[in-house]
Amino acid sequence: MRSGSEPLLIGEGLSYSYLERFPALEEVSLEVSRGERLALLGANGCGKSTLLKILAGLIFPDHGSYRAFGEVVSAERLEDEQFSAAFRARVGFVFQNTDAQVFSPTVRDEIAFGPLQLGLASREVEARIADVVAMLEIDDLTERAPYQLSAGQKKRVAIASVLAMNPELLLFDEPTAGLDPRSRGWLLELIDELVRVGKTIVFATHELAELEWIADRCLVLSEGHRVLAKGSPSEILADRELLLRANLIHEHTHRHGSLVHSRGLTASVAHLYRNRL
Amino acid sequence: MTDGASTPSWLLAGAEDAPPLLCSGKRRRGGAIEKTLDGLAGLIREALESEEVAARRGLLQRLDARAKLIGMLGLLIATGLVRHIPVLLGLYALTLVLAAASRIGLGWFAKRVWFFIPLFTGVIVAPAMFSFITPGEIVLPLGHWFGHEVGLTRQGLTSAGLIVVRAATSISLVVLLTLTTSWTRLLAALRALFVPRLLVLVLGMAYRYIFVLLDSVSEMVTARRARTVAAKRSRRGERAIAGFSAGALFGKAHALSEEIHQAMLARGFSGEARTLERPRLGAIDAVSLVACLALAILVVGGDRALGL
Repeated sequence: MRSGSEPLLIGEGLSYSYLERFPALEEVSLEVSRGERLALLGANGCGKSTLLKILAGLIFPDHGSYRAFGEVVSAERLEDEQFSAAFRARVGFVFQNTDAQVFSPTVRDEIAFGPLQLGLASREVEARIADVVAMLEIDDLTERAPYQLSAGQKKRVAIASVLAMNPELLLFDEPTAGLDPRSRGWLLELIDELVRVGKTIVFATHELAELEWIADRCLVLSEGHRVLAKGSPSEILADRELLLRANLIHEHTHRHGSLVHSRGLTASVAHLYRNRL
Repeated sequence: MTDGASTPSWLLAGAEDAPPLLCSGKRRRGGAIEKTLDGLAGLIREALESEEVAARRGLLQRLDARAKLIGMLGLLIATGLVRHIPVLLGLYALTLVLAAASRIGLGWFAKRVWFFIPLFTGVIVAPAMFSFITPGEIVLPLGHWFGHEVGLTRQGLTSAGLIVVRAATSISLVVLLTLTTSWTRLLAALRALFVPRLLVLVLGMAYRYIFVLLDSVSEMVTARRARTVAAKRSRRGERAIAGFSAGALFGKAHALSEEIHQAMLARGFSGEARTLERPRLGAIDAVSLVACLALAILVVGGDRALGL
């Protein structure tokens, strides 16, 4: 935790099922403090993305309550224009699937979308576009169409489109998935920088290699969609039994300082983990 | 699966069932997969070519999209009202001059226009050339039918020629507009012409996601090709696979649309499309627009002066 102790987000007993049939979250409680970097850890399908969508006010829990910025967040309250605009301005969500997020015909239109929805004047929107493309080094892409971009470029555009709204809280769903090492390093540095300027970050991941670098605290979800553990990255990474139960490591995985080795299928040994970034 | 104990024995045995890796001399025919892949690649290539043309420094590319759209609309209406083939040919020649001035290859441009004429207009106007549809002076006799002379009539040929040249000129104008204007500028121009913003937003997204879905189709077809071993094809099997693929694509498109909606909501979308203001029209745009509209009026007026 970097600053402040008053929780920015409070979720209590959150449960959610898709189509009222397939449970995605069971009785999950969490608190996120201002300026904190919280990692949601868990295997595929454990409910990380669902939890992020609840925190973003995109879906609503079947049971439990969610408060953000001191206010209850519910479907009914988000139907209120003032509340909805104020909440959306404060919460930025970077989706895992950048193709879903980057929906405008050009990069410039994409970055302008959020600030325009906030009601900013065209001149200010133009200024924000100029600043954010310079910051993310995508100045040369502004008139390009999304289908002309690489995965790394699309991720930068998706982040730029969210940063242009200047949200207090940033939610990242699997931020480094599918990125090459250079883009990964760049993104992790960016997250670090955003926290330095006072942003709160919650991100979902199952990558352990970079955890100690980018998270202050972790919340581990089980494959049964419940909270398995909460703690600092070093505490979580030291608990081998916990990581095995959460299906975050393979039973033949072992660490050599910064290196983690894993035993793959059959008897052959696969070196799964790379140097810690 | 934690070790070799749960791995089936056939998976450990190696690829013994695979046919020998030799050439038999018998060639496989290119099937639906290859055609689909070629078609998809062609679509994407065509879209890229259009974007390249729109980025060239030609006459029409320099003009504001709004001025071009209104000017072209004026000329399109004039084309629809003209009743003399020579006047229409003059307008068609003008589109060729504009294409050349906009650095569009004339052969490539003409191919794009004339490819559609026989397919659509040709089929419609062909019967009108015959004496049993358009009676008149037979210029090309084709024989007798129930005691009547049958053939192509002068009046029929004139009507058919008028429609074909009118269609060619209209398509040329539209192709000129779409080739020299990037899709985004065209959408912005539609907004300026009071087309509802939400409709323009939907159009923009539809165009954007065509490419995402094309990628999906391409991946599905490639994955199928990677697993196609049998030389013989079953039509029933192919139909079933096409059905499954279409279903899977529909499901993917539905899931994607839900996520896109969530991504829009997350950035404050409340049902109203807001867009950046476009810059004002320059002097050259205004002059071009006035010239286009004046030409349209002149053409229609001149055509009327020539009589019926």
